[in-house]
This record gives sequence, structure tokens and C-alpha cells, in this order.
Amino acid sequence: MNFAIETVNLNVYYGQNHVIKGVDLKIPNRGVFALMGPSGCGKSTMLRTFNRLIELNEGARVDGEVRLFGENIYSGDVDPIEVRKRVGMVFQYPNPFPHLTIYDNVAIGLKLNGLVKSKEELDERVEWALKKAALWDEVKDRLNDYPGNLSGGQRQRLVIARALAMKPEVLLMDEPTANIDPVGTAKIEELLLELKEDYTIVLVTHSPAQAARVADHVAFLYLGELIEVGPARKVFENPEHELTEKYVTGALG
Amino acid sequence: MLTSNRKTKEKVFFIGIGALTILIFIPLFHIIATVLIKGFPVIAERGTKFLTGTLSEGGIGPAIAGTFILTFLSALLGLPVAFLVGVYAYEYPKSTLGQWTKTLLQIMIEFPTILVGVFVMQVVAVPMGTYSALAGALALAIILTPYVAVYTHEALREIPSTYREAGFSLGLTRAKVVFRILAPMAKRGILTGILIGMAKVAGETAPLLFTAGGLYESYPSSVTKPVGAVPLLIYQLVQSPNPVDHATAWGASLVLLAIFLGIFIPIRLSLKEVRL
Repeated sequence: MNFAIETVNLNVYYGQNHVIKGVDLKIPNRGVFALMGPSGCGKSTMLRTFNRLIELNEGARVDGEVRLFGENIYSGDVDPIEVRKRVGMVFQYPNPFPHLTIYDNVAIGLKLNGLVKSKEELDERVEWALKKAALWDEVKDRLNDYPGNLSGGQRQRLVIARALAMKPEVLLMDEPTANIDPVGTAKIEELLLELKEDYTIVLVTHSPAQAARVADHVAFLYLGELIEVGPARKVFENPEHELTEKYVTGALG
Repeated sequence: MLTSNRKTKEKVFFIGIGALTILIFIPLFHIIATVLIKGFPVIAERGTKFLTGTLSEGGIGPAIAGTFILTFLSALLGLPVAFLVGVYAYEYPKSTLGQWTKTLLQIMIEFPTILVGVFVMQVVAVPMGTYSALAGALALAIILTPYVAVYTHEALREIPSTYREAGFSLGLTRAKVVFRILAPMAKRGILTGILIGMAKVAGETAPLLFTAGGLYESYPSSVTKPVGAVPLLIYQLVQSPNPVDHATAWGASLVLLAIFLGIFIPIRLSLKEVRL
């Protein structure tokens, strides 16, 4: 079977700290894959190895392999820039660029990477991405406004549109609803269920409830180790590991 | 009894600190008031001739032109370098040179400006055999650069790292993240540094003493020839025994104050608008 992302003996160190400990993980193509675990278990760190964003942190060292559709993105001849064009990312804090208009926020990746040939193509792609992110109807009349006037949930959907505009193969989401109100959260979760038809979504969450609502597969990380992984239903209803059971029932962290 | 004693102490302390604070600003307001009182009648009496005429006509036109040329030319020479140095200190803070850069910039800001003038005289004015606008502007550029570099560095550092991550996550190169996303985000801070640096050099005298030369009887015609400047002219006029020259110096002081405030007030206004 072809996996969207596959890690082989993945280790991450911050200086002397060993934060991801020999993880082997297979993330199937299409669907929502949730990485869950208590704060500080290494899930955000692990997510950042999937697009090599971890390298922005100079103290971090990655050991092992991460395969994107079978290709090891840590092999010497791979350009991290090219990896990141194929793997989009959404962050914990909704971070549309405040100095760019709503339109330009979606267009910037395409523009700066020279991925569109004409203004018409760019217009089309921006509209497509905003529709895909379920934001078009709310912003179509104010594309030249700045994102400062949007709600937290709208900003996060704008960031999703920014990532989608690049037509990525995989979408990484680092606790995308951690700073969003419940209504906004519900909308984003609804959006995930639509997007998973076309994309592989890797969702980091500290909430087992959220993982249960949206994920097809879940992995449970604890102190940098992969404790359990499997179809969501199975892990929640019939966990194999005692720690997993404690976590999903709320008895842990 | 005990309580009221404590409150009295606090009151005395508060008034004391307040009085000292006001005391510090008295010279500032005194300078502004004196310059206005003594300078305004001179300009009012001589009219536009004061702003456009040559020194023998009772005007400081060439000096004003010189100040604008020097400020503009120093910005032209200094800003691109300063911006890149600020970006470098931000992007490579852990490298040896990056760490030194921050320290050296701080030293450059505090450096005695007359030494900059002496240096530029040695390396430019002496070989060229003449004072020139170019030499003056180079001296001013050396003074301008650390301000702009430090402000650029600080403005970039204030941007939360999540925007940097967002830029990289779109598959952008480091250069595009810095120059196309982060620098435009920091433009207010960078602009503030530019204006503060320009306000500073527009009022400088010492670095021009051995470099610009002075030119007050005709308008500057070439950057390789001597040029005047308002602060330099004030310095020379005040040493003259002639009361007419003193009057001209007061008028020139008011013009210099106006130029300085003209650059500085927009900075205050733009600072208020900053929001993230």
C-alpha cells in the first residue's frame, strides 16, 4: 500500500533532549490522521519533521527517515523548499499576514513561487481556494480588506485557503482550533471532513474528543514515543494499551 | 497615624520625582522657545529672501540646499547597506559575525561623530584634494547606518516567529521570506529608523567640519565640490563678531529646528499607528 507519509525510526533531538524516540508511523493517503497526546509529548515537533520546518530551529537534529509518497525527504539531494510546496501547513495561532489583503494572503505563495501564468489564473485559483476553505461567501465582497477585521475562525480558514492555493498533497494542521471559539471550531472541523476526500490531513490535537470527531486514523504519542496507532474507532473503543485508555477517557494529562 | 505618615512619604517622593522630570525637560522647551523668539523676527524681517538668498544677500538658501543634498545623499549611500546589515544581524544571530554585528552597531551609535569626520577627511577629502558634498555625505552615512540597521533588526525581531514559519511553509526561499514577507511587515519600524537616522544627520555639525567645507555664496553645483549645511553655517556665524551674522544664525537655527521637527513629528505619528 502506498502511504502519504511514512516515518522510519524517526528520532528528533533538541540539543541533549531526545524528544521523538524511534517512531515508525504510516499515514495512509486521503483522510484525517490525528496525532494526539498531552502537551509536550512531541506531536508538534513530529509534525514539523513532515515538511522539514523543524530545520528553522537551529538546535534541532533529525535522525531516521520521513517518506513522502515513498520518497525520503531527508535524503541529501532533496530540497526542503520543494517539500514544503507539496506539504501545506496550518498553525496553532491563526497567522494570516497582517500587512496583506485577504486576496494577497491567498495569492502570495503562488505569486512568489511563480506558479501562475496570468492574473486571470491567479484570480481563479484564489477564488477556488477560498471556496475550498468555505470562506468565499464571507469574504468575496471584501477581498481587498485586511485580515485584521476577520474573526479567529475566519482567519484560520483564510490560512487554510492560503495553504490550499498551493495545491498541496498533504495538509499539516498543528492544533488549528486551539485558539478558536467553539462556533469557529465546529466550522473548521466540518471543513476537515470535506477536505479529507481530496487530501491527506495530518491533524495534531491535544483533545481526544476532537480526534474522535474528525479522524479516520489516530496515533497516540506519549513522551516522544508512539504508544498506539490504528483506525480511530478501534483505538477509542478498544485500546490495546493501558496509557491510551487512560488518555482517551481523560484520566491522563 | 502610621498610615498617614506612609502616605505623606509617598506624596513627597511622587512630587520630587515629578519635579525632577520636569526639570530635565526645561532645557528642551527653553531651546525651542529661544529659537522661536530670536529666530522668527529675523525670518519675518528678511522674508523669503532669507530662505532663498545667498549669505551676502542676508539669506541661507545655499545652506538649506546643502543640508537637503547631504541628507539625501547620505541616505542614498547608507540606507541599502544599513538595511542589509540589519537583516543579517536578524537572520544570523548565532553566527560569530552576527553576534559581533549587534555589539559593533551599538558602539557605532555612541561613537564620537567628530572622529567620523576626521576619518572621512583622511580617506576622501585629502586624496580628492578638496572638501566635497560626497565626503560630507559619506561621513553622515556612517552615522546614519547604525541607527537604521539597529531599527531594522529590532523591527524584524518583533515579528512573532509564527509568520516566519508561515512563510517557509509556503515553500518560499529564505530570501523571499525575509525580503518579501517579513521586511514589508516590519516596514513601520524600519521607516522609523530611517527617519530617526535622517533627523539625526540633518542636524549634525561635527562630521561636516573637515569634509563638507561650506558654500554660502552660491548654490551647490556638483557633489565633488564643497557644500554648505545649516548646522555648519550656524557654527561659523556664531563665531563672527558681527551682530548681523548672529541674527542670521538665529534665523538659521529656526530653519534647522523646523527641518528636524518636520522629520521627527511624522515618526511620532506613525508610531501611534503600529498594531499587530
